[in-house]
Amino acid sequence: MRISPMLIGVAIISTAVAVIITIGAGGYKNINSVLNASQTSDPDKESNPKVVGSHTPGYPIATTSGNILDPLQTTEDGDPVDAVVDPMKYLREFNYGKVSRSQDGKTLREFTIIASDNLVKEISPGVFYNIWTFNGTVPGPTIRATEGDIVRINFINNGSMPHSLHLHGIHPANMDGVFEMISPGGEFTYEFTAEPFGVFPYHCHMTPLEEHIAHGLYGVFIVDPKAPRPPADEMVMVMNGYDTDFDAENNFYTVNGVPYYYMHHPVQIQKDRLVRIYLVNMLEFDPLNNFHLHANMFDYYPSGTRLQPDELTDIVTTNQGERGILEFKYKYPGKFMFHAHKTEFAEKGWMGTFLVTEGNESQKSNPANSGIFYDSLNNTIAGKSPVNSGGQL
Amino acid sequence: MARVLSEDGSTKAGKRISHKTSVILAFVPIIVLTGMLIFLFSPYGQSLINVGTPLPQVTIEKIEFHDNQILVFIRNTGPMDIVISQADVNDRIQSAAIEPSSKISRLSEATVTIPFPWIPGTPYEIGITTSDGTRFSKSVEAATLAPTPDANQALLFTSLGVYVGVIPILIGLLWYPYIRRISVGKYSFFLSLTAGLLVFLGIDALLEVNEIVIENLAAVFNGQALSVMVTISSFAILLYTSERLTQRAIEKSVVGKTRLSTPSSSAGETLNQDRSYTKNQKDEFYSESAKGSASTREIQIQLQKYQQLLKPLTISMMIAIGIGLHNFGEGLAIGAAMLLGEVALSTFLIVGFTLHNTTEGLAIVAPIAKSEAKRSTMIRRLVMMGLIAGVPTIAGTWIGGFLYSPLAAVVFLSVGAGAIFQVVYSLISWISHHQKPKSSPYISGPVVAGFITGLLIMYFTGLLI
Repeated sequence: MRISPMLIGVAIISTAVAVIITIGAGGYKNINSVLNASQTSDPDKESNPKVVGSHTPGYPIATTSGNILDPLQTTEDGDPVDAVVDPMKYLREFNYGKVSRSQDGKTLREFTIIASDNLVKEISPGVFYNIWTFNGTVPGPTIRATEGDIVRINFINNGSMPHSLHLHGIHPANMDGVFEMISPGGEFTYEFTAEPFGVFPYHCHMTPLEEHIAHGLYGVFIVDPKAPRPPADEMVMVMNGYDTDFDAENNFYTVNGVPYYYMHHPVQIQKDRLVRIYLVNMLEFDPLNNFHLHANMFDYYPSGTRLQPDELTDIVTTNQGERGILEFKYKYPGKFMFHAHKTEFAEKGWMGTFLVTEGNESQKSNPANSGIFYDSLNNTIAGKSPVNSGGQL
Repeated sequence: MARVLSEDGSTKAGKRISHKTSVILAFVPIIVLTGMLIFLFSPYGQSLINVGTPLPQVTIEKIEFHDNQILVFIRNTGPMDIVISQADVNDRIQSAAIEPSSKISRLSEATVTIPFPWIPGTPYEIGITTSDGTRFSKSVEAATLAPTPDANQALLFTSLGVYVGVIPILIGLLWYPYIRRISVGKYSFFLSLTAGLLVFLGIDALLEVNEIVIENLAAVFNGQALSVMVTISSFAILLYTSERLTQRAIEKSVVGKTRLSTPSSSAGETLNQDRSYTKNQKDEFYSESAKGSASTREIQIQLQKYQQLLKPLTISMMIAIGIGLHNFGEGLAIGAAMLLGEVALSTFLIVGFTLHNTTEGLAIVAPIAKSEAKRSTMIRRLVMMGLIAGVPTIAGTWIGGFLYSPLAAVVFLSVGAGAIFQVVYSLISWISHHQKPKSSPYISGPVVAGFITGLLIMYFTGLLI
C-alpha cells in the first residue's frame, strides 16, 4: 500500500521512456544502418553497396545501399537524361548558316533562331529548371560569319512573353534588338554586316533583363577576320550559372551548360597542336568570373578584336558579358584541369579537364575531327565545308 | 437553466423521432462528409481548389559528425513527394549518398551521408537541394564528433546523469530534518517556495519546447499546439492518477483495519471533499457523511489519520515523478547539446543543472516534512523518491546523446511540464490546509514570500545554464 504510489510512479516514468525510445527508434535504425553500411551486404538488394566520394585520391569515402547524389563522379549513365545541352556537341559546333551570294556579291548567311520559355530540363543530375532558350539549348547555338558577310537572322518568338535578339558588334539601331520587342508568336528579321571581327555574345534584351539572361537566353556570335587565323582545334566555352531557388545567387556554375560535365568527359586535345577557345562570360548575379588553365600558359586576345595577343597568362578574369580568345598548345600529354579560379564557382560545377594525347598528322585529317578547325577558304567548298559541318539554322 | 432546457428538448425529440431514425440520422453526416471528401480529391475538385503552386519543404532535423563523414537526417515536410538531388557543405556541392532513397514521400525521412574531412570546432552549414533546385540549409555552430553508442559513451553519460540529477537531489533531501522542526508559518513558506520552484520549471520547460519547435521541428507537426495538448493531457491524467492513488490507499487501509464494509462511494466522496478549503465546511461534510453511511466515529478518525499520512506522501511522490520527467528533459538537453557540438553550452548546462537540482530535493521533502512515520521508513521513501526524480536524468542523457529526436523531446518536455503543473496544483491545495483559521486559504505573508523566493532561486541558478 505504501509502495503502490511509488510503483505507479516508476511505471509512468518507464512507460514514458519506452515511448521516447519507440519514437527515437526510427532515427536510431538510420544511424545504425549508416554506421554499418560497409559491413552490411543485404542479400535482398540486387545492387552492391555503391561507393561515393572517391573522385580524389585520399578523400574520405562512404558506401551506401541508397542513392548517390554526386554530380562530380557521375558516370555515363548518370548524366542528365534531358540535359539543357549536349556539352560535348556544343563545344565544337559552329553554325555558318545557309550560305548564298547577295546581289552585290557578298556572302549572305541566313540563320533561324527560335525563342521559347516553357522548357523544363535537367541542368545538373536530378535538378530540373525552367530554362528559356534560343533553339532549345542553353547556351543557344554558336553562329559564325566572316567580317564583311551579310548576316540575316530570322527570329521567331515561340515563347509566352516578348523576347528579342540583341547582338554585340556594329550594326544599325533598328537591328539592335532593344527597342523592337517581338511578341509571342511574332517574327523579326535581323540583317546587318558582320563587323568587326571578334567574339561577341548575343542575348535577349527584354526586361527584366537579368531574368531573361539568367534563364538561358544567350549564345555566342563569332566574326572571323578576312585573313583567317591560323588553323587550330577550335572550341567555344560559355561560362554561366543557374539560380534555381531565385534568391539572386547562383546555385550552379558551369562551362557549356552542365556542371562538372568535362570532369567526367574530358575534352580530348592533341599534344603540340594549337587550341583556340572562344570564351564568353554570360554569368548573371556575380560580377566576375574567370578561367584558369593548369600546367600551361595561353595567349589572350580580349574580345578577339586584334590579331596580336594582349598577354601570356594562365588566368583571365572577365566581367558580365566580357569575352576573349585563348590560344595555347600543350607540351606534355596527360590530364589537365581548367576551372574558375573563383573557387566557389569551381566547387559549384565550373570545372573540367583536358585530356592531352600524343597527336600525329594523320589524326589531323581524320574525318572524325572534321569541322573542329575552321578554314575560311572552305567557305564555298562542299564536303568538309563549314556549311555542312556546322549544321544549318 | 440551460440544463433544464436541454433535457426538455431531448425528451420532446425522443418522442417524435424513433430510435431507428436517430441512428440513420447519425450516419448522415458521415456519408455527406465522405461524399465531400471524394469530391475534393476528385480531378474536378482538385482543379477547383489547387490554385497555388505547391512548394517542396525539407526539414533538416539533425546533423551528426562522424569520422570523415557528416550525417544529415532530413524529413519531407512539404505537401508532396520530393526527390533529393544534391547535398552541399558550406554551399559547396559535395559527393553524397542518400538512404533509403532519394525519393522521399510525404513526412518520410532519409539520411544523407556526406563523406567530408570536417574539422572539429568549425562551424558548418549543410544544404540539401531538391529536384526543382530549391536549397534547404541548417547550420552547426561547432562540429564535434558525435557520440557513438558504445560502453564508454554510455558510462560517460551515466556519470553525467548521476552528477547532474541524482547527487544534487539526494543531498537536497538532507533538508528534511530541518523542515520537520519549523513553525507553521515557515512551513508554509517552504511549501510555497517549492511551488515557486516548480512554476518556474514548468514555464522553463514550455519555453524550451518552444525553442525546439522553432529551431528543429518541422512546421507540419504544429509543435506549439502539440506541446500545449500534451501538457494539458499529462496534467489531467496525473491529477486523476494521484487522486485515485490516495483514494484507493485510504479505502484499503480502512477496510483492512476495521473489517467493516464501507461503501466505496462514501470514502471517495470524502476524499474528493478533502479539496474543500475551509475546516468548517469539511467538518460539516464529515458529519453528514457519517450520518448517511453506516460508518462509525472510529472510521472517521482512521480516515483523517490516513489522509494526513497519505496525502503529503502522494504529493511528494507526484513531485518526484514530475521532477523526474523534468530531469529527463534536462538529460535530453545535455545529451543533445553534446551531440550537436555545443560544447560550451553543455558545460554550462551541467554546472547549472547541478546547482538547480539541489533545490529540487527541497521540493520533494517539503510536503512530507510534517507527516509521522518511522525514521527508517521515511529514509527509505525519501531515497526512493530522490531516485525517481534523479535517475531519469541518466536515461535522458543517453537518449539525447544517442538518438535525439526533436519530436520526442517536445512530447517529453511537455509531459514534464504537465506533471509539474499538476504538482503545483496539489501543493496549493495542501498549503491551504496549513493556513491559520479565518485567514485566506491561499494568501499569507509566508506563502507569497516563499513563492517569489522560489521563482527567484530558480531564475538565478538558471542564469548559470
